[in-house]
Amino acid sequence: MTQRTGPTPPPEEVKSCCAAAYSSDAATAILGGHYHPGGTALTRRLADRLALRAGERVLDVAAGPGTTAFLLADEYGASVDGVDLGAATVAKARASAEATGTCDSVRFHLGDAERLPFDDAGFDVLVCECAFCTFPDKATAAREFARVPRPGGRVGITDITLQPERLDGRLRGLTGWIACLADARPVDDYRELLADAGLHARVVERHDGALATMIDQIEARLRAFRIAHVDVGTALELTALARDAVARGDAGYVLLTADKPAP
Amino acid sequence: MDREEVFWEYTKSICPVCKVVVDAQVNIRSVDGRGKVYLRKRCRRHGEFEALVYGDARAYLDSARFNKPGTIPLAFQTEVAEGCPSDCGLCPEHKQHACLGIIEVNTACNLDCPICFADSGHQDDGYAITLEQCERMLDTYVAVESEPEVVMFSGGEPTIHRNILDFVDAARARPIRSVVLNTNGIRLAADRGFARALADRDVTVYLQFDGFDERTHRQIRGADLRERKRQALDACAEAGLTVMLAAAIERGLNDHEVGEIIRFGIGHPAVRGAVLQPVTHAGRHVEFDPLRRLTNSDVIELVADQLPDWFRASDFFPVPCCFPTCRSVTYVITDGEDVVPIPRLIDLDDYLDYVTNRVVPDPEIRGALEKLWSASAFPGTPATDAQLERAACGIDAPQVVRDLAEGAFMIVVQDFQDPYTLNVKQLMKCCVEEITPDGRLIPFCAYNSVGYREQVRQQMSGVPVADVVPNATPLRPLLRDSPYGSRISADAEDSEAPGNGGGDGRRRIAPDATNVGRRVR
Repeated sequence: MTQRTGPTPPPEEVKSCCAAAYSSDAATAILGGHYHPGGTALTRRLADRLALRAGERVLDVAAGPGTTAFLLADEYGASVDGVDLGAATVAKARASAEATGTCDSVRFHLGDAERLPFDDAGFDVLVCECAFCTFPDKATAAREFARVPRPGGRVGITDITLQPERLDGRLRGLTGWIACLADARPVDDYRELLADAGLHARVVERHDGALATMIDQIEARLRAFRIAHVDVGTALELTALARDAVARGDAGYVLLTADKPAP
Repeated sequence: MDREEVFWEYTKSICPVCKVVVDAQVNIRSVDGRGKVYLRKRCRRHGEFEALVYGDARAYLDSARFNKPGTIPLAFQTEVAEGCPSDCGLCPEHKQHACLGIIEVNTACNLDCPICFADSGHQDDGYAITLEQCERMLDTYVAVESEPEVVMFSGGEPTIHRNILDFVDAARARPIRSVVLNTNGIRLAADRGFARALADRDVTVYLQFDGFDERTHRQIRGADLRERKRQALDACAEAGLTVMLAAAIERGLNDHEVGEIIRFGIGHPAVRGAVLQPVTHAGRHVEFDPLRRLTNSDVIELVADQLPDWFRASDFFPVPCCFPTCRSVTYVITDGEDVVPIPRLIDLDDYLDYVTNRVVPDPEIRGALEKLWSASAFPGTPATDAQLERAACGIDAPQVVRDLAEGAFMIVVQDFQDPYTLNVKQLMKCCVEEITPDGRLIPFCAYNSVGYREQVRQQMSGVPVADVVPNATPLRPLLRDSPYGSRISADAEDSEAPGNGGGDGRRRIAPDATNVGRRVR
């Protein structure tokens, strides 16, 4: 395969662009409210793998519009704080909490995963769905993931896995970042990043089918737009490339939990 | 030594020859490397029978989640006496109300198709209902449903009944939301005034349409009707009528045409849906092998194979109002060039899974989807189009995309049961009911399989009618021709099929030969 090196923007620009893209109506339209592969079913599986119990304090990093935060509060009885880098997204999530009268159990904050606006050891559980791959400084984010849970606490991540050297050049650049693909890593890299931060992996499950399904959903939406005479540019070519990558095993989706050792 | 099958469930069925009720088993076994579902039963007199009921065991088992609690109708017409399926109906043990009521207005037809579950044709010893009878049948329907969703006029060929428009008017004069006319299209092709008359009355046309090959037409309909079908569809388009194409699919006959039927329908201005039905081996049909018959999963796979750019098997979802293995449905948005199945835009698992789901995202969208994944849905009717509009709110997309969903094209795959495949578990939740002139509502598959059709015809015409037996290869030695082209048991007297204690005009239906209610000694 021909490798083309696309433009790689500086890290800060990427991070805010990524958050802005997630909060834009265009992203909503394309992703259709499913901000991560596997949807709520995989969120429940993650919560079950973390043995989440009623009354536990959960931090959801890159909480988006709050789908996961509301689910964990509603179905598991958790007390959830969500943090996201997009101001509009946070405002929307807060409005949902107010509209549903759930402000007591779910709170949303503006903040950066690499500088989480919380004290040390204040949570029982930290979750982060399909967002770790987008953080430019993963080592710093991993240290933050290890800092805010209490000793004995748990961290649960679901994320894109990728063999970066096999990535098609056309998937790089900003569109690649939005699609969560361009800075994803092989699963061993994630484990190492967490281990280096002091978090010990417990569960590692592959859910590649969830990613394939999400790519299908995105493609279906794009085709629906095209039928409605909305210009979708080259987006359909990118979804085709992404699907090929999953089929080859070069891209996938992983559910990973890790423990913060008790003292 | 191990058995070569998984015993899945115990149920009841009927002997396809003498129609007595017998115990039955559903088993799953691997054939050609994949799990398939079979129904097996034994009649004391006629021996063992087995038929394929679902070609994909995994899909069969998975469909169990899509089973909605039934709705109780306002009234029942019979009492529980013998048990299912001998008390139709509906009896108080029936698990669902009627989503679709069918009124067969006659037994006569202007065709003599080799395949006809109603055993109709150019016959002078059948019956036709009167306007008064039709009104009584409609009143029965309104009495049990209050505001029925939809009534379908069928036959025979209903368009040759001289009162057909009066029947439509009678339905329109009652609180019934939609009226559907099931027709072969011959009158529509020839009589433009008739198409206009139907359009004035807001009737949806359910047009028999089996494919494009001459061989298909000759073997299923006994005539090359291709030009007539084209004329009928053009007449519908010109009059502004909405059409559902209804195809009877037989293995080795027209199973290669399902994709083209859908493609054609999507491209035709009058057509808003296609219904693909494996041939019901009740009434008249060509010889078939019960172990290789087509089932819903087979038809869905044919669609996916023949239109791979448009469909995957996972685009079809079981209909939860009836028994979920009976009917699968999808809707697509389309511009005639490309097709996007709506289940790829809304996660139907979130809404129509009644077993494993804990939280439904939006009850109003679920309500709309329930009406769309139902036997009462006919795109183009105001009722169904309103539900499409409501369901479109579940698509997280700009209004331009939602607008497309409002004009969605529907594809239905429906495997009606026959005397070979009948499973009372499915029958008890049937939501498609035949309304009889004597004021009963009989589940469609019971009507065709158990002996009710023959009973009603005999009552209405005064001419004895023997029980029809499937023209299945293993039964051939036991069969002879009936006067209508179907097959009957060789030892049946024309006046009286075995097991039917007659005399009062109402024959005994499906006497019980199960082991229920008997002691060992």
